[in-house]
Amino acid sequence: MISRFVLDVAYFLNTSKNYQNTKHFFYNLLENNNYRYKKYFDALMIMLVFISVTILIREVKSHVNDFLLYFNNYIISIIFFIEYMLRLWVSSSVSEVLIKRDEHDSMLGEPLKLTKVFLKILQIKFKYISSPRAIIDLLAIIPFFHELRFLRIFMLFRVFKLFRYIRSFQTFSSVLASKKFEFFTLLMFASIVIFVSSVLIYVMEANNPKSSINTLYDALYWSVVTISTVGYGDITPITDGGRFIAMVVITAGIAVLAFSTSLVVSAFSEKLDEIKEIKTVDDITKLKSFYLICGYEDVAAEVAKSLSKEHKVIILDEDPARVLRATKDGFVALEYDPGSVESYKKLRIDIASQVKAILCLRESDVENVYTTLTVRSFNKDVYILSLLMHDIHRNKLSIAGVNEILYAKELVGMIAKEFIGKPVAFEVIHALRSDYSQINIEEVVISERMLRNFSRIDELDNVKYRVVLLGIYKKVHKQFFFNPMPNTLLEQGDYLLLIGNSVFIKEFEKYLHKKSAG
Amino acid sequence: MKTRSALIFGYNEFALEIANNVAHKYENITIFKLDDETKEKESEKYSVASFDLSDDWNTLESRFDMENSVIFCALLDDATNIFLTISLRASFESVSIISLAKDKESANKLTMAGASKVIPIVQTTASIISDMLKKPIVTEVLHNILYEKSNLKIAQVHVEQDTFFGGQHPYEIDWKNKYGIIVLFIVHEDMNSEFIYSSKASHHGIKNGDKLVVVGYEEEIKLFEQNVGSRYE
Repeated sequence: MISRFVLDVAYFLNTSKNYQNTKHFFYNLLENNNYRYKKYFDALMIMLVFISVTILIREVKSHVNDFLLYFNNYIISIIFFIEYMLRLWVSSSVSEVLIKRDEHDSMLGEPLKLTKVFLKILQIKFKYISSPRAIIDLLAIIPFFHELRFLRIFMLFRVFKLFRYIRSFQTFSSVLASKKFEFFTLLMFASIVIFVSSVLIYVMEANNPKSSINTLYDALYWSVVTISTVGYGDITPITDGGRFIAMVVITAGIAVLAFSTSLVVSAFSEKLDEIKEIKTVDDITKLKSFYLICGYEDVAAEVAKSLSKEHKVIILDEDPARVLRATKDGFVALEYDPGSVESYKKLRIDIASQVKAILCLRESDVENVYTTLTVRSFNKDVYILSLLMHDIHRNKLSIAGVNEILYAKELVGMIAKEFIGKPVAFEVIHALRSDYSQINIEEVVISERMLRNFSRIDELDNVKYRVVLLGIYKKVHKQFFFNPMPNTLLEQGDYLLLIGNSVFIKEFEKYLHKKSAG
Repeated sequence: MKTRSALIFGYNEFALEIANNVAHKYENITIFKLDDETKEKESEKYSVASFDLSDDWNTLESRFDMENSVIFCALLDDATNIFLTISLRASFESVSIISLAKDKESANKLTMAGASKVIPIVQTTASIISDMLKKPIVTEVLHNILYEKSNLKIAQVHVEQDTFFGGQHPYEIDWKNKYGIIVLFIVHEDMNSEFIYSSKASHHGIKNGDKLVVVGYEEEIKLFEQNVGSRYE
């Protein structure tokens, strides 16, 4: 009966949209570093930690306002408590454990054993509670019991909470964690040296009335100060035996220090690429829109150079040498295989909303077909442009799902034809296209604002602005109309193709906007 | 008999594309194959001859009307292509030589070697790609005009009857409504080309010998040509 009720609740929670959304929201806020609002939450918690510590410091020698004490002891503690409980809640799903166990038991034809499930749940939750971070969180709440004055020292644990909110600390600890075994060995070595030297120095010095080492605690203190190479000098050995031990400890201290420094350095140098990659991926995730170039060879390098003037460009290539080249050229490049779905998963990007176009610019048809099929396997709509190296493979790229194919050889053939046929016209078009000449051809999209004052072609005063209207691209017809009739209606989303001095075109564009504003 | 020819050096896909695109303009197309060049499929459409960089190019004159021929240097190796261009320029001062280059650096060297026109493959491909992405409509329209994929054409019209314009400045004429065409540039006799609405161009009237670069439908262009002179091609 009870188990039926518990199961009903579990199924209800597991299928309830509101419950799941709320849990997901708190998970994002507390644990998901890529969640947009997490940084604000973290900033708020950091601020509370600082307020708390400032009050603690102030309280040492001065009187602190009662409200501030109340705020520190109750409000901040309660906020930390709520946070602790929320983290405990989102750390695992109780309902899922229940449902899984029920499915498991019903498959075996047995009734649900509630005790077993609760033990399992307790085990999972205890695993979280006993994690270092959760322990720090818990200790940071303890000052709430402020009547127990000795518990006040736990206020300092609030400082340790900073580790949770500042990501650099997390990176630092994860780097050091990679050398866990080496650090453990070093710690063992240092502990043994400290223990042995403490005992020896105590034996050598404790009976000497001139020596300041009188207790084993003094000996331990001296050993730690000496092995760390700090050497305050408040306690010094005076017997020959004691000095000999000092020499051994000092030598061991230098070794320990050198070893630990080299450990930290090597841990960082080994993880440097990984840290950089994580940072790059994080930065990419935050981008609103960019072009994704797959493969970095000569054409890709030129395209990236040209596009990067106005847009963000991200490069993926599995070859380290080409990635290095891209990085040297000043682009954000990742050593990911563009032909692997895993690469896009690692990037954590939303292709539909963030990627303007994917450019398959490897100078190999095989690679470009493969990349296209990879992208199409999880996204049907993103615009893909690909280089074609051999005409015989054109249909393969089309079948794979490329939207636009660029075949350099055909292009060269057409340029040759134009050049021998109409050299002047060819140069004119080339000049219009090039960014270097002052005369440009630009496309201006008709916006809703423009339509408020201009409804027909003849209402545009382009001649006054010394701008030639080559024609209009009608969005509805998906067709370009050269030299349109004066009474042609303008519609939102249509494009005007304008030729003229780039300054005049800009002026004209401003006029189209301004007039509508006025 | 000497023929007006397109001489294409290099036996590769670039050369065949060029040959296919210029075949209609020349009586003869000859592809010259460097000794170490191999292509899987032999070209059946065009005559293929072998050449060596140490050949005496003056012998070409006996076979081809070099004054009216065009040379394409389409070897895949830039250094060899530059050497070929400079060798051909040394033999033929006035012939039009169009050379392919991988990048801008080689393009500069080819220009120095005497090429009349250089097509830097990487840059050209890249600029088309970025144009397609930055200004898709403009690129499509220009592409269709330039490569004659629509009824819209771009043409150079040689002015032979300037009296037709009655001394008017180009920017004063209502080209669109009067002739149904758009005049973009005027190339003066001294080969300075100017956009018709630029401030400099306004001081020049249209004179005989000027070339007008016009965009329009074929019929309108033809009609306009009849009025001002013959089409320059």
